[in-house]
Amino acid sequence: MYIEKQKLSKQEIRHIAFIANILIIFVFIILIFAFWNTQVLRREYYTIQATQNIIKDIEIKAPRGFILDRNHNRLAENKLNFTLFLVREFSKEMPRTLDVVASVIGKSKPDIQKRIDKYKNHPESFMIPIEKDISLDKVIYIESRADEFPEFKIQVEPARAYPYGEVASHVLGYISELNTDDLGDKKKMGYSLGDIVGKSGVEKQYEKYLKGSKGKQTVARDNLGRIREVIRENQPIIGSNLVLTIDIELQKYIEEIFKEHNGTVAVAELKTGGILALVSKPNYNPEFFSGVLDPDEWSALLNNPDKPLHNKCLQGLYSPGSVFKIIIALAGLQENIISEDTMLTCGGSLQIYDRVFHCWLSSGHGSLNVIDALKNSCNVFFYRVGKRLDVDVIANYTQMMGLGDKTGIDLPNERKGIIPSKEWRQNSAKEKWFPGETISVAIGGGVLNITPIQTLKMISTVALRGKMPQLHLLKDIESNGNVTMESQPQFTQVPISKENFEIVIKGLYKVVNDGGTGNAARVPGLDICGKTGTQQIISKETPNYQNLAKQKKYKPHAWFVSFAPMDNPQYAVVIFVEHGGDAGSVAAPIAPFIYKKLFHK
Amino acid sequence: MKDVYKYFDKFTFFAIITLVLTGILLIFSASREMGQNYWSRQLVWFGFSLVVFMVIFRVKTEMAFRYGIIIYGALIFILMIQFIGGEIVAGTRSWIKTGLFSIQISEFIKIPIALVLARTLTRFNVIGWKELLKISSIVGLPFLLIALQPDLGTAFMLLSFIFVSMLLKRTRLILIVVLVIIGLSGIFTTWNFVLKPYQKNRIASFLDPEKYKKSSGYQVIQSKIAIGSGGLTGKGYLNGTQSQYQFLPTRHTDFIVSVLGEEFGFMGISFLFLFFFVIFYRQYNFKVQSDEEFYFVYLFNSIILFQFIVNILMTIGFVPIMGVPLPFVSYGGSSLLAFFTGEALIFRIKISSYLNEF
Repeated sequence: MYIEKQKLSKQEIRHIAFIANILIIFVFIILIFAFWNTQVLRREYYTIQATQNIIKDIEIKAPRGFILDRNHNRLAENKLNFTLFLVREFSKEMPRTLDVVASVIGKSKPDIQKRIDKYKNHPESFMIPIEKDISLDKVIYIESRADEFPEFKIQVEPARAYPYGEVASHVLGYISELNTDDLGDKKKMGYSLGDIVGKSGVEKQYEKYLKGSKGKQTVARDNLGRIREVIRENQPIIGSNLVLTIDIELQKYIEEIFKEHNGTVAVAELKTGGILALVSKPNYNPEFFSGVLDPDEWSALLNNPDKPLHNKCLQGLYSPGSVFKIIIALAGLQENIISEDTMLTCGGSLQIYDRVFHCWLSSGHGSLNVIDALKNSCNVFFYRVGKRLDVDVIANYTQMMGLGDKTGIDLPNERKGIIPSKEWRQNSAKEKWFPGETISVAIGGGVLNITPIQTLKMISTVALRGKMPQLHLLKDIESNGNVTMESQPQFTQVPISKENFEIVIKGLYKVVNDGGTGNAARVPGLDICGKTGTQQIISKETPNYQNLAKQKKYKPHAWFVSFAPMDNPQYAVVIFVEHGGDAGSVAAPIAPFIYKKLFHK
Repeated sequence: MKDVYKYFDKFTFFAIITLVLTGILLIFSASREMGQNYWSRQLVWFGFSLVVFMVIFRVKTEMAFRYGIIIYGALIFILMIQFIGGEIVAGTRSWIKTGLFSIQISEFIKIPIALVLARTLTRFNVIGWKELLKISSIVGLPFLLIALQPDLGTAFMLLSFIFVSMLLKRTRLILIVVLVIIGLSGIFTTWNFVLKPYQKNRIASFLDPEKYKKSSGYQVIQSKIAIGSGGLTGKGYLNGTQSQYQFLPTRHTDFIVSVLGEEFGFMGISFLFLFFFVIFYRQYNFKVQSDEEFYFVYLFNSIILFQFIVNILMTIGFVPIMGVPLPFVSYGGSSLLAFFTGEALIFRIKISSYLNEF
């Protein structure tokens, strides 16, 4: 079938072609304008975006400075920590996984199963930390067989290493990674998420020297984040090294002999005020905080009744007990209430203000002067002196000798304690001070509360006959092997006469060397001076005292503060045993070990 | 045959060859990081296309129109088979695997549609209901089959045939009104019942690319960044960060213009436009021998124009991403071969007005 075609006229064709030409010209004009707008007018906007696409500033973290002891032994350094994770999503059959883990890390299967079970309530995507700090050869073994072990993932993170483990943990402190909660105001100081920051100890105290300063790398990265080109690079500045006054060998030695006890031991070098050893027991391993925290271990550490995270030397508040008799003796002498020759009588007990106060020796010490009163730690002698001193005068001397106030040692979170006075009573209880309370204070009891480090400062001041040292841990700061900051010994003078110190020191000498309460601290050939303090937790008058006292928590705290030698003193040592029992038989016997080590005897 | 080269439109042919070679240059830059030798494959396709061009060029136009309907039927048949049993590649059934190369039938069917439509249009005086139904069924069947593959971009391009047919003929006004209504309701049903989520995402991200920055809006944003940052003169060949650092998606195919815009700037884009303009202009203006030849040239030229406009506007975010390659320039053998085949017919038509016997 043929249909007659409608033949287009020349005019019609010209007409259509004309419209087509107009249309394409129109289209190209629009396109040219659109591209002119994008490429020429908005070029800058898109250039910035193109740059943002590829240019990234990468932070280069600065290695943290080391912490060294006075002999430049490394107490804290940096290492790479490899943590082995189990990725359950990729673990097809548990038995096989268990076999593999067991053979690789050398733990028993039930142990590993227990560890995995601990996380069974976590989502599947949670990676279970199987083993922290795995050795390099295991890392290589696992990484080289990545195809075979899809269930394993090894993460590398820079970590802090403490080669001496638990030793000096309370001095060193620990670090942690900044999380979102902590970041807040630290952001302005140049910190960013995941940065390592000191959380306690000198790690915190000297954070700004240890951290160094970050470097920056400007790179061009492609769509997959691969670095194609390094455009600029600023090297980080390594943190400074901290040199402490600590003698790690001494510290380690003391921790070893003190390991059965809870409490604290501190040793000061009197020439400088530098701390040679500062032990607080129990302690912890600071490396625990480096890397992945195990929540269970963490809560165990927090809830331990012996408070391992607590630095008892700076944060433990205790009554000084008989150690305080040093203050009363000094106050009595300086206030001219007693002199070296003043003889007072002890009959075993004393009735003051209708109340009977006992001496620890119920038969009484008879008539004795201040030197023998210190030697025998006679309560009645000091009741009598205390009765003639106003509580505010006692408070004044207490503070003068550095008790009840922060020592200002270079460690964070030091506590102050309580020095009772009339004003303090008015402020805290809106009550009047009862003179009878002064009697308890006179033998270091009552509400008096101080920290062990304060007694170290006090006994050092006694040793130096009124020259009060500033206790400190920092010896110097070194950067690239050069000392950039050095701590200078600082002393202040206490307004108590040298003669009065000499009288008290005679008493303290007798405590150790003349059959006094600290006899157990005696080292032949070394003139050690000291004072014991047995601070009762419950009164001896408590019914059933003998039985209760067998329980550890009712055992008295045992103090021994000391220095040596008597003339030209070099070291002061404070020993405090929490619930240790009788000071003379628990605290004092530890001192000879320390002094022998100090004087190489 | 002697005079063939005298009347052969060398100028337009040169413009097309330039576009293809530019394309290969850009494909090299675009695919350097892909680990694929797309540029050399395109070169092979180009060579093959030239051979096909020469062969088709020798075919008498009358023959092409006579067998148009048979080819049309054959390709529809293949499309149907594909729909039933086609292997799904990249989410669609549009590919036929034949040994070394894959072939997209949807690219080739444009030629027989234009042939059949051109002959059909000669029989109409004015386009009314009956005529529109005829046109629509010629275009509609392949449209449906391709849309179901699903390859909406290519299918949508076919609709331009209906539009152009109506422009070429006088059309009743009522028809246009009704078509607009049908079109709108068509968009509505398509959006609600036909489009797959990824396709909806494309459109949603077109309307608000910043919101879909990380997902489907990503492509448009990266393309605009590439083009915009190219500036007036471009960043230099192989120096475009968007292209070389792989921020540009499908940059060897749909977004080849973005590579050009980034590395050669507004100047490069202007040259590209100039060459395309030459092609469109010269193919629209020629000495007409017969009506059906006239209609074919206009229909086929228009679909190239359409595809060009949609592809270009897509790269600067003026239309949604539709997966339409840039004619002659984008990587893709089927597309290149199909356009060369169509152009061979146009070149032959233009020459036949000078040579009655050939």
